[in-house]
Amino acid sequence: MIPTRRILTVVAAATLALSTSVGLAGAAYAAEGDQPAQVSVVHGIPGQAVDVYVNGTETVSDFAPGTVAGPLELPAGTYDLAVRAAGAPVSEAPLVAAEDAEVPAGANISVVAHLSEQGQPTLTPFVNDVGSVPAGDARLVVRHTAAAPAVDVRVDGQAALTGLTNPNSAQADVPAGTVSADVVLAGTDDVVIGPASLDLGEGTVTVAYAIGSASDNTLQLVTQTITGAHSAPGGVAGGSGGLADDGLPVGLGLGVLGLLVLAGSGAAWVRARS
Amino acid sequence: MSALTGVAVGALLLLAGAFWPAPNQVSSSPAAVAAVADPAPAPRVTAASSTPRPGTAPVGLRIPALGVDVPVLPVGVDRDSGGMAIPEDVATVGWYRYGSGFDAEQGSTVLAGHVDRAGQEGALFDLRELEPGATLVLAGPDGQVRSYAVVARDQWSKDQVPLDRLFARTGAPRLVVITCGGPFDESTRSYRDNVVVTAVPTGGP
Repeated sequence: MIPTRRILTVVAAATLALSTSVGLAGAAYAAEGDQPAQVSVVHGIPGQAVDVYVNGTETVSDFAPGTVAGPLELPAGTYDLAVRAAGAPVSEAPLVAAEDAEVPAGANISVVAHLSEQGQPTLTPFVNDVGSVPAGDARLVVRHTAAAPAVDVRVDGQAALTGLTNPNSAQADVPAGTVSADVVLAGTDDVVIGPASLDLGEGTVTVAYAIGSASDNTLQLVTQTITGAHSAPGGVAGGSGGLADDGLPVGLGLGVLGLLVLAGSGAAWVRARS
Repeated sequence: MSALTGVAVGALLLLAGAFWPAPNQVSSSPAAVAAVADPAPAPRVTAASSTPRPGTAPVGLRIPALGVDVPVLPVGVDRDSGGMAIPEDVATVGWYRYGSGFDAEQGSTVLAGHVDRAGQEGALFDLRELEPGATLVLAGPDGQVRSYAVVARDQWSKDQVPLDRLFARTGAPRLVVITCGGPFDESTRSYRDNVVVTAVPTGGP
């Protein structure tokens, strides 16, 4: 998790000084260290649509709860994030904000607006592990971003990721396929979310967020899929009979045989003539 | 036989040996291979709201120059070896189901089959003799076909075969057909090399 200084603050100024614009898709980057980051935003606070501001610029508008926006391509750097009720003026206090959030070059990040375990609005950034997923597998990531106690995530009835608390993330690489997932209170069979059908595509990263509030009965699962993390299989082993063996080149064999016959016959011919 | 006959036979054998074609000769234009086989830079990972659609499965492969006309089945990963699963039936060829499919507009559509198994020659037994320019035809759903022309035939030892390039899911669309070859190791009952034919689309669907 990227450390941020999360400050619930009343933003008094109407505008913040802007030196960086967002959405630089299409710009050229000279070195790998200049690779932009991919930043998705998850709206996990039930009840109202919001506007998301990045460095003072409204970047996501009328963002519905339980949905994912992005990815935004952002150059590496630090950013101020603010979330306000949809349509609210910039002068209005944000519901939640973060200042100087670190965005490293080339990272894949999901920033989640969600309720803490105690039900307070907060912002948590998560780094998405999009490193090579083994061939034939999918990566399942589950994040507890709900006002609820510790939970276990079950896949096809078996506990897969256990003892997950707010605001933490757990993951596993599993065989690709469609699974039935549900969320239970940790160590129990009390289902609090689901079951839900999850399509775990080969070579993808599927992130499931538990959002909402247990006490308000608004718990739900929101998912995002990240593609392009696949790997080639480890080899192609196609043959065990030995009939195609060409270890000794045929041409060489014929040539050697020819030399031997020639040498033997030549010697005999010379002897016969002497 | 008489000495003179022996000399003649010896000379003939020597000549035959001198002109016998080397079995693993790569007969392709390096430029063509590079253009086709080098994938685009690694795809940038992006968030999407839904899982990508799997490729359409091809159902048959024809290689007229080799007299090959065989069914194709989707295959995945062999859980024990981590390698591509290959149909046990040597007369059937597998299609790597997680990669590009029959109607792909990018990436490798990868087929593989046993060169032989248990005393039987496989459908791809003569793949090592397929020349550039030869035609391959892939059959898809609903009677559709897609034709390809060979641009490269390569043979690599298995510890050097460029798997990431061959199984790439981006870059110009191509058909990659893989089997085994080279020296056979009796103790492990396996071949040292992979024989790989790369072909580019020429027509359909």
